[in-house]
Amino acid sequence: MKLTVKCFATLSVLTPPTRPYEWQAEGSVNELMAHLGIPAAEVKLIFVNGLSVEGTHILTEGDRVGLFPPVGGG
Amino acid sequence: MEYAERYARNGSTLSETDQACLAASRVLLVGLGGLGGAVLEQLLRLGVGHITGADGDTFTHSNLNRQLLATESTLGQGKALAAAARAAEVNPLVHFQPISHFLSPPDFKALAAQHDVVIDALGGLHLRRALQQAASAAHKPLVSAGIAGFTGWVAVVRPHERGPVELFGNAPESSSPESSSPESSSPESPTVEERLGNLVPVAMLAASLQVCETVKLLTGRPALSGMMVFDLEDLSFYPVQL
Repeated sequence: MKLTVKCFATLSVLTPPTRPYEWQAEGSVNELMAHLGIPAAEVKLIFVNGLSVEGTHILTEGDRVGLFPPVGGG
Repeated sequence: MEYAERYARNGSTLSETDQACLAASRVLLVGLGGLGGAVLEQLLRLGVGHITGADGDTFTHSNLNRQLLATESTLGQGKALAAAARAAEVNPLVHFQPISHFLSPPDFKALAAQHDVVIDALGGLHLRRALQQAASAAHKPLVSAGIAGFTGWVAVVRPHERGPVELFGNAPESSSPESSSPESSSPESPTVEERLGNLVPVAMLAASLQVCETVKLLTGRPALSGMMVFDLEDLSFYPVQL
């Protein structure tokens, strides 16, 4: 399925280079992160189409996925 | 007369009623570092009537890259005292109350109750949850922000709503809890902001967004619901419902 995936801050280097990203599978955000080699422990905020979700959230065609680590500088 | 002239260029965007609202408002600003210094500058120029600004830290050389109140002449000075001097210089119509020690969660609760809006300008994550809980317990909205590298977020957390800090958890304690502290890095597990650093344009943008939302809250306008995540590297903004 086609997804837009964006990783932020320290994770930004793990953002898939192609946009949209064609995921040759179906499943949850956790499964997508495992496939992309994104360390789930460093992802504290997952948002899909502007809504905060859990890692078990099942993705569907066209979803926009944001993966955000704990950012607390000031 | 000074009052009218001072705020004349706020034009019709801030009406006389809005301006009076701001003058009658009380804001608690916790942290006077990268976010807090820029937030303070704007609250002063906007004419928020009472500002309590808290930070127990003093300025060091590594603050100079981004903290508005850090200058060659304030190095070694307490941040809260430097803030008081700036307040007097920029807008003597504002009553600024400095708090020159680090606040603890019980202090948060007592102070939140005495203010209309609480602004979280803390550096690091470990005290932010306590501040959010204190604001919520006092039935006050919290305007929070965090930055690292080119990335940042701003959130408005109304009483009993979920805030970003609940997701981020508590980061390890740093040596200067109320100011941003990539300079006080812990070698074992550096935080995201310790790894990426904090840049002045990112700090000031996040601070501006915090102040904008604070003005909306104080003048009865609809304000951000949830959180706004941004990445200035590709200039993208993402609203997120928590």
